[in-house]
Amino acid sequence: MSLKYVDEFRDSNLAKGLIKRIRAMSHKPLRLMEVCGTHTMSIFRHGIRTVLPENISLLTGPGCPVCVTAQKDIDAFIELAGRDDVILATFGDLMKVPGSHSSLSLEKAQGADVRIVYSAFDAIGLATQNPQKEVVFCAVGFETTIPTIAASILACQEQGVTNFSVYSANKLTPPALAALMQTDGVQVDGFILPGHVSVITGTDAYRPVFETYLTPSVIAGFEPVDILSAIERLVVQNENQSPALENGYTRAVSEQGNIKAQQVMHQVFEPCTATWRGIGDIPDSGMGLRPEYHGFDAARRFGIEMPDVPEPKGCACGEILMGLKTPESCALYKKKCTPMTPVGPCMVSSEGACAAFYKYSV
Amino acid sequence: METNAMKQDKIVLDHGSGGKISHNMMTDMILPLFNNPTLSKLDDGAALTIAGKRLAFSTDSYVVDPIFFPGGNIGDLAVNGTINDISMCGANPLYISVGLILEEGFETEKLQKILETMAGAAKKAGVQIVTGDTKVVPKGKADKIFINTSGIGLIYNGVELSGSFARPGDQIIVSGTIADHGITVLSAREGLRFDSDIQTDSAALNTMVKSIVESECDVHVLRDPTRGGVGTTLNEIASQSNVGIRIREADLPLRGAVKGTCELLGFDPLYIANEGKLLAFVSKNDAEQLLEVIRANEYGKDARIIGEVVESDPGKVFLETAIGGSRRVDMLAGEQLPRIC
Repeated sequence: MSLKYVDEFRDSNLAKGLIKRIRAMSHKPLRLMEVCGTHTMSIFRHGIRTVLPENISLLTGPGCPVCVTAQKDIDAFIELAGRDDVILATFGDLMKVPGSHSSLSLEKAQGADVRIVYSAFDAIGLATQNPQKEVVFCAVGFETTIPTIAASILACQEQGVTNFSVYSANKLTPPALAALMQTDGVQVDGFILPGHVSVITGTDAYRPVFETYLTPSVIAGFEPVDILSAIERLVVQNENQSPALENGYTRAVSEQGNIKAQQVMHQVFEPCTATWRGIGDIPDSGMGLRPEYHGFDAARRFGIEMPDVPEPKGCACGEILMGLKTPESCALYKKKCTPMTPVGPCMVSSEGACAAFYKYSV
Repeated sequence: METNAMKQDKIVLDHGSGGKISHNMMTDMILPLFNNPTLSKLDDGAALTIAGKRLAFSTDSYVVDPIFFPGGNIGDLAVNGTINDISMCGANPLYISVGLILEEGFETEKLQKILETMAGAAKKAGVQIVTGDTKVVPKGKADKIFINTSGIGLIYNGVELSGSFARPGDQIIVSGTIADHGITVLSAREGLRFDSDIQTDSAALNTMVKSIVESECDVHVLRDPTRGGVGTTLNEIASQSNVGIRIREADLPLRGAVKGTCELLGFDPLYIANEGKLLAFVSKNDAEQLLEVIRANEYGKDARIIGEVVESDPGKVFLETAIGGSRRVDMLAGEQLPRIC
């Protein structure tokens, strides 16, 4: 396996040079938001917060797919897992997220057939191996994973696999950024835009949001040099008062993105209103199956319609995802809410802000 | 939901992770009932004095899935694992027992192969399998084969090691590349289809420990970072010894393919299991000498000094990142990879 393009972007001399330049240039207090959960983890993992000057604070954004999944969707997964005829296929991150009364991990311990998969295509494998069962894939993800899920549905159609369906809690990034900027109290001086998502969407997808709010924005890769370069660009844009939408991840992201992946995604899915945990309903921010693919829609197939449920009392996940609060300012953090006894999804997901703070902070 | 209460209702996979939840089960459920001064040290094995002789005694069960993987199988894992647990007490492992739990329908050919591997591993390490037991359970009541091994050994004269003996100033040596075993098993596991040339590091470390003891270096702790990886083991030692630990990312030995797989799947190699590596805590003055001794062993060629023990932040482990930042290396809450050994 080649590691090209990793080591170069972890070069300690390059990184130290960037840190020096950021420190020399940055004077204004800056609140920069990393939108993507993978950035959050990378920032902690490489100790980036500990090398920045005090005037720069990093906020974690709504880009951890598990964290923004509404509690009613988690309840729907649990409801599906409880059916005797269903094998529920899920990404591992969802296992421990508490729903209203249980979690997939606890359901599994009590006998539910829940399998961890690494791709929707693995779930098709389960469906062909278990023809007497219904395999339901929990689709939780952004533009990065939606095209693969779409491709898996097309593959099922082609192969005549009929015992496979998808419960879609998919979400789109740009509408969430717009909703965020419209929220009272939200103050973001710059976005570190997601790398993986942008590989699919391209730079262009952010242009409408950028042109409306003129927030400095830089698409970044995930290595420390990538992230520090993006921060340096955001500092320059802020200090010069020259907001721009920049692509700092040119080795993977183009203007238009992966057009083929976009086509597959739009062939199978269409925008719909989605409920984001802690933020609420955002129009056109979800991706539901188009009518011609309703046969693959688990919610329809099994008649699942979960009521809206209030989030657990005191849980500040929603405010944390919008940069209004830090994990440490949540009353439950490290007290009632720990990775062993998570109350909200930000403590469960490996990419969640609270889990990152808990794991890496003193 | 009351996650805490529900967690106590049923056992979940996290209880076997070696992380915080396992640790809590140990301290809340097991220790209060079985409590005695030997067990409460929470070392890899028990150090006992019987008729004037100091013995090390240890046990471990193996449920790895799949049972065959590149570089080994559940058999040599079970033999080497117990040999290593005894060795980490500063002892020379001599005799081991083997308990087999077999599922009805398990192929005898595979069993034969596993037993041959166990015999080979025991012979290579110079230990004898002297007692054992076999049980068969109905199909579906166990998964193919589970193995328990226990063992005893004689603690070397004048040697006293424990996870509670780390002191500020100690240098920390890891005997080779980390995370090889866990990533090998993961790659071999059904459902993960990618190729790589990595294989398990499963090996008996008794000869390495013998050379360490004979070097007369001032060693305080030896531990094999198995389930839970180097990160979990360092946390256990920091907490047992009430000291702080600082390690350096740039000095952690890691194979390219293992690093690549970890990157792809989002795993932190610090928490991935090793089955043929040890961590040695040694006085600063003797660190270089011990490093040479470990490197001279067939399983220690990639050994490195990865960090040191400090007085500050007792019970905590910190990593100095390659870019000069710092972050906490906490104990994992739950299971990163189930059934890895």
